[in-house]
Amino acid sequence: MKKFFAKNGPGYFFLIPWFIGFFCLALGPILYSLYLSFTKYNIFKPPKWIGLENYEFMFLYDDRFWKSLEVTFSYVFMSVPGKLIFALAVAMLLNKGMRAIGFYRALFYLPSILGGSIAVAILWKQLFEYNGVINTLLAKIGIEGPYWLNDPNYSLYTLVMLGMWQFGSPMLIFIAGLRAIPRELYEAAEIDAASKWKQFYAITLPLLAPVIFFNLVLQMIDAFKTFSSAFIISGGAGAPLDSLNFITVYLYNEAFAFYRMGYASSLAWILMLIIAIFTGVAFFSSRYWVHYENERD
Amino acid sequence: MSGVNLNKVVKSYGDLEIIHGIDLEVHDGEFLVLVGPSGCGKSTLLRMIAGLEEITDGTISIGDRIVNDVPAAQRNLSMVFQSYALYPHMTVRKNLAFGLGNLKMPKAEIAKRVAEAAKILQIEELLERKPRQLSGGQKQRVAIGRSIVREPELFLFDEPLSNLDAELRVQMRVELAGLYQRLGTTMIYVTHDQIEAMTLATRIVVLQAGRVEQVGTPFNLYNYPQNKFVATFIGSPKMNMIEGKVNNKGLDLPDFGQISLPATAPKSGAIHFGIRPEQFTIVKSGSAEGDATSTGEITLIEYLGSELFLYITLPSGHIVLVQASSQTQYKTGEQLTLSLTAKNAHYFGEDDLRIPLYDEKK
Amino acid sequence: MTDLSIQEASDIARSYRIIRDKRKRRATITKHLFLAICSLVMVYPLIWMIVSSVKPDNEIFGNISLWPSEFIWQNYPDGWEGLFLSFTVFYKNSIIVTVLAVIGNTLSCSFAAYAFARLEFKGKNIFFALMMMTLMIPYHVVLIPQYLLFLKIGWVNTFLPLIVPRFLAGDAFFIFLMVQFFRQLPRDLDEAAMIDGCSPFKIYWAVILPLSLPALATTAIFTFIWTWEDFLGPLIYLNDIRDYTVPLALRNFISQDSVSMFGQLFAMSILSIVPIFIFFIFFQKFIIRGIATSGLK
Ligand SMILES: Nc1ncnc2c1ncn2[C@@H]1O[C@H](COP(=O)(O)OP(=O)(O)O)[C@@H](O)[C@H]1O
Ligand SMILES: [Mg+2]
Repeated sequence: MKKFFAKNGPGYFFLIPWFIGFFCLALGPILYSLYLSFTKYNIFKPPKWIGLENYEFMFLYDDRFWKSLEVTFSYVFMSVPGKLIFALAVAMLLNKGMRAIGFYRALFYLPSILGGSIAVAILWKQLFEYNGVINTLLAKIGIEGPYWLNDPNYSLYTLVMLGMWQFGSPMLIFIAGLRAIPRELYEAAEIDAASKWKQFYAITLPLLAPVIFFNLVLQMIDAFKTFSSAFIISGGAGAPLDSLNFITVYLYNEAFAFYRMGYASSLAWILMLIIAIFTGVAFFSSRYWVHYENERD
Repeated sequence: MSGVNLNKVVKSYGDLEIIHGIDLEVHDGEFLVLVGPSGCGKSTLLRMIAGLEEITDGTISIGDRIVNDVPAAQRNLSMVFQSYALYPHMTVRKNLAFGLGNLKMPKAEIAKRVAEAAKILQIEELLERKPRQLSGGQKQRVAIGRSIVREPELFLFDEPLSNLDAELRVQMRVELAGLYQRLGTTMIYVTHDQIEAMTLATRIVVLQAGRVEQVGTPFNLYNYPQNKFVATFIGSPKMNMIEGKVNNKGLDLPDFGQISLPATAPKSGAIHFGIRPEQFTIVKSGSAEGDATSTGEITLIEYLGSELFLYITLPSGHIVLVQASSQTQYKTGEQLTLSLTAKNAHYFGEDDLRIPLYDEKK
Repeated sequence: MTDLSIQEASDIARSYRIIRDKRKRRATITKHLFLAICSLVMVYPLIWMIVSSVKPDNEIFGNISLWPSEFIWQNYPDGWEGLFLSFTVFYKNSIIVTVLAVIGNTLSCSFAAYAFARLEFKGKNIFFALMMMTLMIPYHVVLIPQYLLFLKIGWVNTFLPLIVPRFLAGDAFFIFLMVQFFRQLPRDLDEAAMIDGCSPFKIYWAVILPLSLPALATTAIFTFIWTWEDFLGPLIYLNDIRDYTVPLALRNFISQDSVSMFGQLFAMSILSIVPIFIFFIFFQKFIIRGIATSGLK
């Protein structure tokens, strides 16, 4: 026993904070959240076990839930590819040892680092007011802009654009990835008279696949978790007509506006499952399109 | 007082046994060198003595204290690493003083010891520098300095010179020898370089694949290698090995023919006949001395200045290495007659162990 | 095949070179033009916000000009006192929470990372895998149980739920970042220190930490930015306006719905991101490297 502690003691000692955090703030809460998702709980009375009722209601009767899924998925499927394509295009432009790269890099990254702030969400909201800057600009070229924030057909696009505006961090990762591709490959292709498009298709894309994959997973998970900007721009309630009622916003309101902790927990679990499934699918599918350099086909 | 004793020491990583039960006695005040090919377990053994590696089985004692469960810091030893392992963020002075500070030594005493060590190693003007501002040789001195300020009972070195260039290595080797003479503390020194081993050691331990092949003075190892491995490992360039067959007249060697053996020799079987390059004689104009001769062609000449090595292809196709005087001119393609003397050679049986045919007479 | 004189051949070569150089130059110009336009689009909203913060309110909307007719600097002092409480209080709160969170996160994550990277103990691999798994958990799943826990122990409406978890190494991302960093420090240093009489804690404190300043800085910087920008946490745990952090206060600004205060709103929004901006300017190197190597957001 004494020997066991002499050997393992220091390791456990340094992990004490993590142990406490892991059990009290991660594992415990996850299990408790799973339990709560099978209960009805409003904080004031103890949780009441109702089995699958929350999930049953969610899937069979709750139109707002389906709407929130639609909103969330639409957002993810529009903003993530847009962001990544843009990030890659700019990264490739910045890649070839050009002047002022540091300046552009910093400039393009700036929105990403400010993007999570409430200030930017507020700014965004004002930009898209009916008489805001965007519509004024559009009017200059003869287009009458819509009621971006009040028309459920358009409101989501404001958030998609906000997401795409923050293409800086995948861009930085792409730049690092592009740097790692050996120059000789392009030189060899040049000698073989491969067109630029062919070079992109035959060299850049396959060699960048691991980085693209990494970015894709990261951005997707991130997009599923979007909250603050949606919360602010939708005025806290997912308005108009639930068109900005992201599942995270819905969950927040269920829990902290209506104190339906049980139902909110089941929403949280659905969110977690969705993220897990998408991450899983990405990892599984990566076997078919991502080849790491040090592995043999 | 501060000898080291290893008793059936075993080291395993998982199921893989790396050190197979080593017994070893390190005398107080001796300079013991562990030598062997890369990967034979030298570092592992040293690190077990240092307390950096757990001992799977057996015991290690330093002085008369069994240290298996004593942490490194309390073994009163110091170690110089191949990479020097200087703390990059501390000045040389701090590097030297760090260990003393941990011993809660008074400031004045620390300063005194640091100054002393710096003086011995001639690094006084480097004391305020950071390691990255030092050359390889200077780092090496600081690393040694760091171990001598502690005034330990036992010094450990793990290939301390192998990151230096050839010239510095020779210089540091001389300095290390001087340091040992000055301090007289027990030292255990690991190297894969047998020249380093031969020049520094009072005794050498030859290791191979986690086993001790032979322990002895450099003289002993060179002149009486106990097995074929030690014979070919010690000495540079390597000893020539010729595969002979025992018959009723003695030993039948390819190219050289028959030589006679003393009565104590085995009466049958194969013998590995070992002969060092300097033990051949080059025969001029037919006047053969020695016990057997053969004539071959020079295929390669290695000219080292004071001496000369000839690679000679014998009729059987076997190539032997011969040391010759650099005062004579040789040409590749030239025919040369070699002779050898039976009592200068080394004999190893089929089990690769030494057969001591002439050992008493030498 | 016709034979070319040397003169003719060199003329042809020269004309090709000229065409190629011209094409190259044109490509470079196009690229810079494109990047410049991109930059403009990227920073326009931010500049617009800065300008709007000193515009008269009636010039903010329906107006894309970046030059106000008069500078209303008064928006800043007015905005500062624009709520029921002065922004001094909100900044003080934000600073308390952020500074403690940064200290807590950097220390506790480096603690755990040191154990994982350098010490041997039973169960290390399992704990490491569990730690990595917490990376996948969306915050929303643990949100409700954590809230209930903090409610139960009376921490709601204090800063504790925003600070204490940071001392419990909850951020697997930073642990991982530091594990990677620690692992590439030579192990010989630890061993030399062991022989020099250091305890594991002393090795951590006197050898590992001083050599890991880049990783610590990356952790500290990102923790700072995220905590400063954090909205969901304060939104849930802080209900008394005297405890509000800056983002919460900003939200109060918009939910007051008084149309005449947009200049002040923008003024405060800008002040709220100034610390982040300053960090970004000063620590660009760490931030960009942190993202490029580990995919931090
Ligand atoms: N941590 C380890 N795990 C498994 N095998 C190891 C470990 N450390 C060393 N070994 C093995 O032990 C053997 C001896 O290593 P070492 O003592 O470093 O040899 P050397 O004589 O070159 O110093 C080598 O074969 C090496 O591969
Ligand atoms: Mg070694």
